[in-house]
Amino acid sequence: MSEGDRVLYAAHLGKRYRQGEVWIDALRDFTFDFPPGVTAVVGPSGSGKTTLLNLLAGFDRPSAGEVYLAGRPLHALGEDERAGVRLAHAGFVFQSWNLLPTLSALENVAFPLLLKGVPRRERNQRARALLDEVGLGHRASHFPHQLSGGEQQRVAIARALALDPLVLFADEPTGNLDSAAGERVLELLLGQARGRRRVVLVTHDLEIAARAHRILRLKDGRLVEVRASP
Amino acid sequence: MALVFRNQRARPVRSLLTVLGILVATASMVLFLSFGEGLRQALAGEMTKFGPEIRVVAEGTGVFGVPNPELDQNVLDTLKAHARELGIARLFPAVVMMKGSGFDPATTFLFYGLPEGVTPKDLAPAAKLVAGRLDPHPDGAVVGKQKAEQNRLTLGKVLRLSRRAEVPVVGIVDAGNGLADSFIFVPMKLLQKVLHTDQYSVVLVYVAPGHKADEVAARIRALLPGVDAQTTSEAIKYAERAIKIGDVIRFGISLIALIVGGLLVANTVMMSVYERIREFGVMRAIGARRGFIFRLVLLEALLLAVAGGAVGVAAGYLGSWVVNLYTTHAVGLALSAVTPRLVLFSLAVALALGLSAGLLPARVASRISVVEALGRL
Repeated sequence: MSEGDRVLYAAHLGKRYRQGEVWIDALRDFTFDFPPGVTAVVGPSGSGKTTLLNLLAGFDRPSAGEVYLAGRPLHALGEDERAGVRLAHAGFVFQSWNLLPTLSALENVAFPLLLKGVPRRERNQRARALLDEVGLGHRASHFPHQLSGGEQQRVAIARALALDPLVLFADEPTGNLDSAAGERVLELLLGQARGRRRVVLVTHDLEIAARAHRILRLKDGRLVEVRASP
Repeated sequence: MALVFRNQRARPVRSLLTVLGILVATASMVLFLSFGEGLRQALAGEMTKFGPEIRVVAEGTGVFGVPNPELDQNVLDTLKAHARELGIARLFPAVVMMKGSGFDPATTFLFYGLPEGVTPKDLAPAAKLVAGRLDPHPDGAVVGKQKAEQNRLTLGKVLRLSRRAEVPVVGIVDAGNGLADSFIFVPMKLLQKVLHTDQYSVVLVYVAPGHKADEVAARIRALLPGVDAQTTSEAIKYAERAIKIGDVIRFGISLIALIVGGLLVANTVMMSVYERIREFGVMRAIGARRGFIFRLVLLEALLLAVAGGAVGVAAGYLGSWVVNLYTTHAVGLALSAVTPRLVLFSLAVALALGLSAGLLPARVASRISVVEALGRL
């Protein structure tokens, strides 16, 4: 299979940062072809999890290696081109739910569709259906500050799914939630690994990671272990 | 666009204060520049209200100066003798005397001495009699309506021209808010006596049909050395130049207010950008291109500026109305005018202000790195 056919693939990926006079290798020689399903990325603080996510999602450019998202070489693309690839093929759920505070739940979910140029009626219909899917249809007109943490995170998941992405990135999605709300969000996320879709779940919680199809363990910027979940 | 409005509504006090800043800047600019527009309109109106097309004065007299009685009988006789070949339909001399500072309309009195057979209607054809009679002869004063109201001059009231010369008010004339409304018309002989002269300040000339005022004036100048013939169109041109200089000065002054207003918008939008770095980071992460963020921030600045500009124009219009209330009462002229071109110019300036004030914050917002913005989560 060529790189162009791969949904999410990294080859010899590396990232170096300069901190004062010192160069730090945040990620070194990471190679992995993400298969369909849920892949958890685990490791202690400073192991390179967030750096890896930034590179896989095209938030940042690698210092070395290649990364392909939906067959597009993110490492060779400019900022706006990478944004275009993200919009079309990736969805994001962050630890702090990051809804746009001046938009209602419905408008937040519809925001990627707005960027894509989908007409208002169509995007509202789609956003409402997604909110129903995450169990928040009745909260569509509420603003983020009127929603609980768990509800905000579910709205964020609905937003991430708005354009039916091939890859869903989740960075510590339950980190700020109580266990009941966290469980509901996690079930919702894990349930999204359907068809060709890949779910990349960055977490430091091994119990959560155990529910993924496979676990990648990072240490000091290196991929040290790949194993299927028990 | 909804996002732009929502972002402003999310910070109502700050948005309102910024709009107020722009409002004050635009209103002051409208008001400053309305004086130039008002002067132009007043001048054009005044010139059409004034009957004689040429005034012959001693050389060196300013276009809008009060002429001294320096023209002798020879000037008048020569003009009369050559009237036909010069293209003059009618002419008459007059003597002008100003009493008071000339700066304060209430304490300045402009006496216009008219020869027998000439009434204020010959100077201002649209003039209407309000009370008494139109002809100041043989020994009365006909007062312009504005002047009469300003100094509470009523029929029978006595005006003192000098220690020995006094005239009663015998008529009040309405010249339609023109300059003649501020004049006091008296018999010319009386004014000559007061000034101890038998000369004239001015010879007012009506151009014969088929002749052009400029050409007639040139012929008069050629015929009479030491004499200047000033046409109303020359006066308008002269005044237009002065108004233009005034416009530049007034715009310069209002520019300071505009720059302050612009900095206010830039500061507000920049602060808003720094507060919302997370939001912009999330937008970029989701897939918003730089241009989207740039336009969003720029539109916010434009919205503030246009809202402030529109209300500012309305406030300037109100200010202009108040100014006119005063100047109409004080000098008989509406000196301020908010014309359509001034409204368009002011809105364009407000728009340009918003555009230039929003450019830097928009650039900063659009260049926020996703990693850096998300790092602030």
